[in-house]
Amino acid sequence: MNSIEKNLRELNKLQNLQQRSHWMNSLHPWGKLLLSVLYIFTVVSFDKYALAPLIVMSVYPIFSFIVGELSFKEGIYRMRLILPLVLFVGVFNPFLDRQIVGYIGELAVSGGVLSMITVMIKGFYSVLAVYILIATTSIDDICYALRVLHFPRIMVIVVMLIYRYFGVMAVEADRIMTAYKLRAPSQNGINYKAWGTLVGQWLLRSMDKAERVYESMLLRGFTGDFRIRKKKVRLSDIFYPVIWIVIFVVIRHSGIFGE
Amino acid sequence: MHTGIHGEILKIEHLSFAYEKEEPVLSDINLMAHDGESIGIIGANGIGKSTLMKLLVGLYLDYEGVLEIAGHPVDKKNLNHVREHIGYVFQDSDSQLFLSTVEDDVAFGPQNYGLSDDEVEKRVVDALEKVHITDLSKKHTYKLSGGEKKLASIATILAMNPDIIIMDEPEAALDPRNRKNLIRIINEINSLKLITSHDLDFIMDTCERTILLDEGRIIADGRSTEILQNESLLTEHGLELPLRLQK
Repeated sequence: MNSIEKNLRELNKLQNLQQRSHWMNSLHPWGKLLLSVLYIFTVVSFDKYALAPLIVMSVYPIFSFIVGELSFKEGIYRMRLILPLVLFVGVFNPFLDRQIVGYIGELAVSGGVLSMITVMIKGFYSVLAVYILIATTSIDDICYALRVLHFPRIMVIVVMLIYRYFGVMAVEADRIMTAYKLRAPSQNGINYKAWGTLVGQWLLRSMDKAERVYESMLLRGFTGDFRIRKKKVRLSDIFYPVIWIVIFVVIRHSGIFGE
Repeated sequence: MHTGIHGEILKIEHLSFAYEKEEPVLSDINLMAHDGESIGIIGANGIGKSTLMKLLVGLYLDYEGVLEIAGHPVDKKNLNHVREHIGYVFQDSDSQLFLSTVEDDVAFGPQNYGLSDDEVEKRVVDALEKVHITDLSKKHTYKLSGGEKKLASIATILAMNPDIIIMDEPEAALDPRNRKNLIRIINEINSLKLITSHDLDFIMDTCERTILLDEGRIIADGRSTEILQNESLLTEHGLELPLRLQK
């Protein structure tokens, strides 16, 4: 299996997750999007030394992974590209902030080390929150939620179209790679001499396919806007985010878990 | 959107078309078609079948002659009207299905024409019932088999309740069982159908009228049983008798 096919399969797996009939998937996307954004804001807003309340904030991803029947291992695997970047952000803090802020037994802990850990946790939680959102909500639903939140129409349409055409281009790339490899079985990768032709073919085929998709949209009345059916809001769609928001507020502002 | 017109739905008079400064692809095409007819468009590769279909749905507008759908000339001004009356089932179902689930894709057309949510819902249910895939409504489009994709593609068009349905080689890449199923479903559809295909047995099974195109012109227009049994006519224009008639 080549790497493009692997990535396509991974994308398919993610779409499978989004299509599950789990109650968390069927929650109104508006609530889930709002909840994810608020969670990230809350996490990021903690003081750089506020480790204890940050640890308590893990309740949301832990709950979502367990109750939502999501695989933590797969989640980490899917976020493998972004996670190192996020974890790298605070790596220089120990060198910049050497002030001792506490002790673990005999071991002095500097402000830099503590802030590095909190920055890493903040990044980690944010990535998990995004993963929870995309594992339980399809791109169409996320775009619907963005429209409900009055995001600019053009931005939402661009997101949807990029998603569609990304799939089209990936499938074409996979076909070209497979056709090439089947006729060059002893080669590792693609010979540099063939790159130009293959990329050209890929773009031309993708454009052809994209044009057919666009024609199909035009022929069914597309005039530049995706009209998405309104989703009914149930009580659970309101209670779920509200309960979580209350929990976030308590953790953030009550002082029970420290500042 | 079905007009309920029972007469002439499609009118083509002296239609000619050429791609930019090239030789004409279609020359002096004349064709009338009525509600409920099922017409097969046959001919060898590259003789203008797909071009004719694309002209009908207004993808190319710089033609010469008369081209009217449900009384509306196919021009820039009427494009929306025309497209409300005509549906196009692509040969490649992957080009037709672009939304996440079958029901979302089927709802796409009716939503774009501003129907109410209830009406859209009704259209989706009806269309899926017509092609017998109600159980697939929540299924992701990329997970469908080839036969299911074809039926879902037809449902996306039926949901728009068009006067005319164009199908570009609908039987392509279907196994015998799915092909048989498709024939049954096509024969159940009451709108005017224009079906292009190289599978003349399929045309025999689905169309009572056949039009033979060659070099951009209509060579023959008549009952399928007559045209598809005329071996010399078919051979002269690069085709062969349907398999079931070959000895």
